[in-house]
Amino acid sequence: MTAVEEKDHFFRDLQDNEELMTEILGNSVDLVRRRITFHEHKNVQAICYYTDGLVDVTKIERFISDLLYKGNWLLQHSTLPTGNPLTLLKEHMLSNASFQVIKEVNQAVDGILSGVAVLILDGSAEVFLVQTKGWEKRGIDEPQTEQVVRGPRDGFTESIRTNTALVRRRIRDPQLRIEQMNIGQRSKTDINIAYIEDIVKEGLVEEVKKRLCDIKIDAILESGYIEELIEDAPRSPFTTVQSTERPDKVASSLLEGRVAIFVDNTPFVLVVPSFFWQFLQASDDYYSRYMTGSFFRAIRYLAFVLSLTLTSIYVMLVSFHQEMIPTQLILTIASGREVVPFPVLLEALLMEISFELMREAGLRMPKPVGQAVSIVGSLVIGQAAVQAGIVSPFMVIIVALTGIASFAIPNYAASFSIRLIRFPLLIAAGTLGLLGFSAMFTLLAIHALTLRSFGESYLAPATPFQPKDQKDTIIRFPWWKMQSRPVGVTGDEKRVGDHQFPEPPNTDPYAKEGGKSKEEPKKDGDKSRRKKTRHIIKFKEEDEE
Amino acid sequence: MKRYLNGSLLLITILLLTGCAGKRELNDLALVTAVGIDKGEEENSFKVTAQIARPADARGQTGAPSGQTGEPILTIVGQGESLFDAIRDLSSFTTRNVFWAHNQVIVINEDLAKEGIAQVIDFFTRNPELRMRTWVVITPEKASTLVSTVTGLELIPGEAVNKLFRYGEISNVAPNTQILDIQSAYLSQSSQPFIARVTLKEVMVSNKKPEKGPTIKQVDLAGAGVFQEDRLVGILKPEETRALMLFTERLKSGVVTTPCKSKPERTISVELRDQMFQVTPHLKGSQISFTAELDAFVMVVEAGCSFSIDNQEQVTELEQAVEKKLKKEIETTVNKVQKEYKTDVFELGKVFHNDYPGYWKQIADDWEEVFPTVDIKVSVNVEVKDSVLLWEETNSGKKENSAN
Amino acid sequence: MKVQISNGMFMALIINMIYAKAIGVTQGSMAREVGGDIWISTLIATIQGGMIMFLVIFVIRRMPEGDLIDQSARILGKWFGKLVALITFIFFLAAYGPVMSTFVFHLKDYFLPEAPILLFILAAFLLGSYAIYFGVEVIARMALIGVFSIIALNILLMLGSLSEFDIRELRPTFQMGFLRTVWASRHHNTDWAMATIMAGIILPMVANKETWGKMGFAGMGYGMVFIIMWPILEAGVLSPETTAQYIVSCMQMARSAHIGYFIHRYEMIMVAFFALSILTQIMMSLLCASVAMQKILGLKDYRKVILPTAIILNAFGYWINFDKNRAVDFLEGWWVYISIGVAVGLPFLILVMGFFFKKKLKKEIVAEEAK
Repeated sequence: MTAVEEKDHFFRDLQDNEELMTEILGNSVDLVRRRITFHEHKNVQAICYYTDGLVDVTKIERFISDLLYKGNWLLQHSTLPTGNPLTLLKEHMLSNASFQVIKEVNQAVDGILSGVAVLILDGSAEVFLVQTKGWEKRGIDEPQTEQVVRGPRDGFTESIRTNTALVRRRIRDPQLRIEQMNIGQRSKTDINIAYIEDIVKEGLVEEVKKRLCDIKIDAILESGYIEELIEDAPRSPFTTVQSTERPDKVASSLLEGRVAIFVDNTPFVLVVPSFFWQFLQASDDYYSRYMTGSFFRAIRYLAFVLSLTLTSIYVMLVSFHQEMIPTQLILTIASGREVVPFPVLLEALLMEISFELMREAGLRMPKPVGQAVSIVGSLVIGQAAVQAGIVSPFMVIIVALTGIASFAIPNYAASFSIRLIRFPLLIAAGTLGLLGFSAMFTLLAIHALTLRSFGESYLAPATPFQPKDQKDTIIRFPWWKMQSRPVGVTGDEKRVGDHQFPEPPNTDPYAKEGGKSKEEPKKDGDKSRRKKTRHIIKFKEEDEE
Repeated sequence: MKRYLNGSLLLITILLLTGCAGKRELNDLALVTAVGIDKGEEENSFKVTAQIARPADARGQTGAPSGQTGEPILTIVGQGESLFDAIRDLSSFTTRNVFWAHNQVIVINEDLAKEGIAQVIDFFTRNPELRMRTWVVITPEKASTLVSTVTGLELIPGEAVNKLFRYGEISNVAPNTQILDIQSAYLSQSSQPFIARVTLKEVMVSNKKPEKGPTIKQVDLAGAGVFQEDRLVGILKPEETRALMLFTERLKSGVVTTPCKSKPERTISVELRDQMFQVTPHLKGSQISFTAELDAFVMVVEAGCSFSIDNQEQVTELEQAVEKKLKKEIETTVNKVQKEYKTDVFELGKVFHNDYPGYWKQIADDWEEVFPTVDIKVSVNVEVKDSVLLWEETNSGKKENSAN
Repeated sequence: MKVQISNGMFMALIINMIYAKAIGVTQGSMAREVGGDIWISTLIATIQGGMIMFLVIFVIRRMPEGDLIDQSARILGKWFGKLVALITFIFFLAAYGPVMSTFVFHLKDYFLPEAPILLFILAAFLLGSYAIYFGVEVIARMALIGVFSIIALNILLMLGSLSEFDIRELRPTFQMGFLRTVWASRHHNTDWAMATIMAGIILPMVANKETWGKMGFAGMGYGMVFIIMWPILEAGVLSPETTAQYIVSCMQMARSAHIGYFIHRYEMIMVAFFALSILTQIMMSLLCASVAMQKILGLKDYRKVILPTAIILNAFGYWINFDKNRAVDFLEGWWVYISIGVAVGLPFLILVMGFFFKKKLKKEIVAEEAK
């Protein structure tokens, strides 16, 4: 590293440059040095450095062949005014899509390590950087964690340029800007920040950039690192930064005035600011009709409430407030509990923890075996446990319901936080009854109320209550009703035009002039239409007679 | 900030020290589904019988095999100087915590009721565990016998009495009395409480000895008991309770049977469907009187002799017969309650108070003496509006031919 | 610390401050005096409360950047301001007694009879301190949630009790005489007193000065609508005598509600909703008391005094509730005099003083604006 600090510009002499590069990069086996000599008479020497595996070899071969054949010819027979071999090469010969001329050593080194080929000419202190990136990458596949029934099935991959391209294809607006940053001292990971300039909230992009610049870490291996380092509430169980694998989600967030952060080497893109309620929204809601979407969204809200509170309520009722349970039900519960040796709270904790165990095991098992574990785990073990008298059948039902409800939450990260919150709530309800439950619930509510995500209240639009934004919370209003963007954007606030209610054209023969159509009825056209129908009817009547 | 955190941490730990106060495991509870109160063996003591449900037997095996004994209930008896004392006595031999929140019915022995139930009312309304919608009944039998009787259709007898009342609206032989009603009537300035009455009657046929006829006793709804303040002063027979229910509840339906005019040995039955019952007070000088009007729309549900709703004569006849019968029924009850028992269970005092508050102030304290002297006029108006499915009379076709 | 809360939140705060105690404990006290006319007393008290609210808003409008205490300091000097702050602190200290009584009566007597009172006091202490540390905004948002739960609670109750409603219980009106009915309204006035003095402290934080009056009245209107249902149902379904029997009549009401025969008791759901509202009330009382303490000590930020204030208030709450007799006596006796005295007297005093020292006030305001 010291060599770079001491010497940040290239030498003129090729030999010196070669020594410099060897000192910095060492002798790694995948670092290739390709010597080229062209211009037979002048014997211009050049070395091309690249990293095997990161480059597309055909591109390198092409430009080396350009250098060797065309370059030679050009330098020998050149009638062009300039005699500088560099300029000649740059403007008249190399047919690569992009390249740069630089003087600094660390830029060249970074380039080599990112898949760029560096061409060092003898006698020149400037070097060429040729874009030759091409490495193996995963094809575009359906995202594993967010699957939809209706909607696009392409998901992000590990290559950042592919990801930004997927978003660009959806928003062909010139106002969509993408800015570049490099974070991580040793990983120098590419970070792209995307936003739509005339919609994004004022000050948001600057804030995001500031927080990203403040990150000092040696490597960013996944967007999760960045998420933890820029989030507003690091000590809270709630996630304040959304991460998603779906390009359509990112596109719609950008259209609502938010900022997307792409991170190289991971398909998970971060979106800020985020609100709590959007973790309960799935892309399906927007692509299916509004009735279907609203219904399933309501089910998801129910699932959220259930997964959070069902076990706690059961434990609380059975341990403290048995008078609240209807008599028919309490006899059933009591008969199931007759043989169980544990108190309800302990039983609930045991069941919950074993459920989490099974879930985790199902994740880590190799695919073919994983399916068997889930079926075996849930059905057989549950049934066996009941028969053995370790748990009561009611408890199995409750925990299973809670588990299924937590699966219904679309955002994977959010369901984690809900699972986490469930445990303190359970313990509080089981030890202090109604007082514990309501106190802990209020505590969580207060905590959630104080959270902000990049300047926006975390629980908006429920509190502070914005009536205009209620169109997309519990139920989804049809697209022809959602005229304005959510509060928090600066700039273009209308997204759907007026008079969007779809209707078939007016073909009622008896309709009055100007009836339902929204556009100015072309009077002549209308009359002629009606005339025709009248004519037809007359004709029919005559026919009948 | 650090001090604040430490301080609150300390306080949170204090919170944990208080332990799980009030926590009771479900299987440490003995769920009482019915309770009976008798006079105790000693002077001024109470005998409390508690009917406890056995969950394993009540529901069958739902999980691992648990101890099933075949008996759905366990009945235990405790004695004490007060109700609370008697209940504490119960816990000396019950292995579980006696839990009253699922109690469905309170059975009070009539002898005890004659001496006064103020203490019973106070106990059951002061305690938060008990529900306000518990049924209360009085019985001439011993409450302990009633409470231990196993019932036919329902596994748990307390549940059985609960359902009896729920669906008793059809038969109208006993009013719906819950502890809340009794408390408000007892506390009221003018109205007196009344409690439904049950007895044990042999109505169930034994499966093992069917030839003997009904031999097994079951709980049977049988009228009401009227109280003065908190003492039982009179009994109303099942036929008489319907009139009582007209005054105090919204009667859902009822049946009136009258003999046919042409053939007195056959009867026509009508069902009361929509009825409006209005009591209006009148004050002339210092003479108080009430008019009770019943407007009933009835349906003919069974005709033993020829009856067609088309025949205006028959309809008018029927209407008059039903009116007469209903009027007599109501008047009998009113007379009995007013003249014989002299208690205002009909809430007439309240009705009067609403319309004549000024005069009421004067006589409020003497209402008990004034009530037997008031004049209660009953008028009934019946209209036959429906005969269910049939239009013509149900007559034998052959007779008609020969008659014609 | 210039915090802005919206008008809706202000209304929600007013509703939450009066609701918890007014539906049950107050109704029980009033029923003991006037029987079935409790709803009339409630209405009369609302009118009186409205007048006092108008007075407070008028006073604060004169100097919109400061609350009652600041204004009194401006008029008569620093020490008078401290005196007013002390009176306000004592007001909220005394208010905390009935607030804790409501909390403890509802949760302890009916759900956790064996739990020690200390548990409830501790829970209130911890939750309250944690919440007010973050400022009025958070409490105001909780108040919004509180309003939704109040609506849910009312609907739930109506579902379960309307079938048993008997209007004959409410008749005749004014059976105890007009004067007695008006005198009984003093119990409900104590609830409005809390709301008005709270308004006096937080009005400067409400955005949009022009709509203060409208919002204040709207808040009271909504509050009255939510509350009035309770006395009507309590007298009609239970009976006036039964309502008078109980200390917490709303719980009795809730316990008697049933939907069909399967759900025979669901007061726990109702109390869970109710708990949100009363926790908001506890938090708001703590906040106002902290602000008052801050102004007594002349500090800039009320956060430093949260702990001592909370300790004093909760200790008082514990002492009051230890003996039920003491609690109810205080509720129906001393608290009535303190609350109405301060609620009527304080704004009136500042109004009158303001008239005398109008010039001084105007001069200061002009000087402030000139800065």
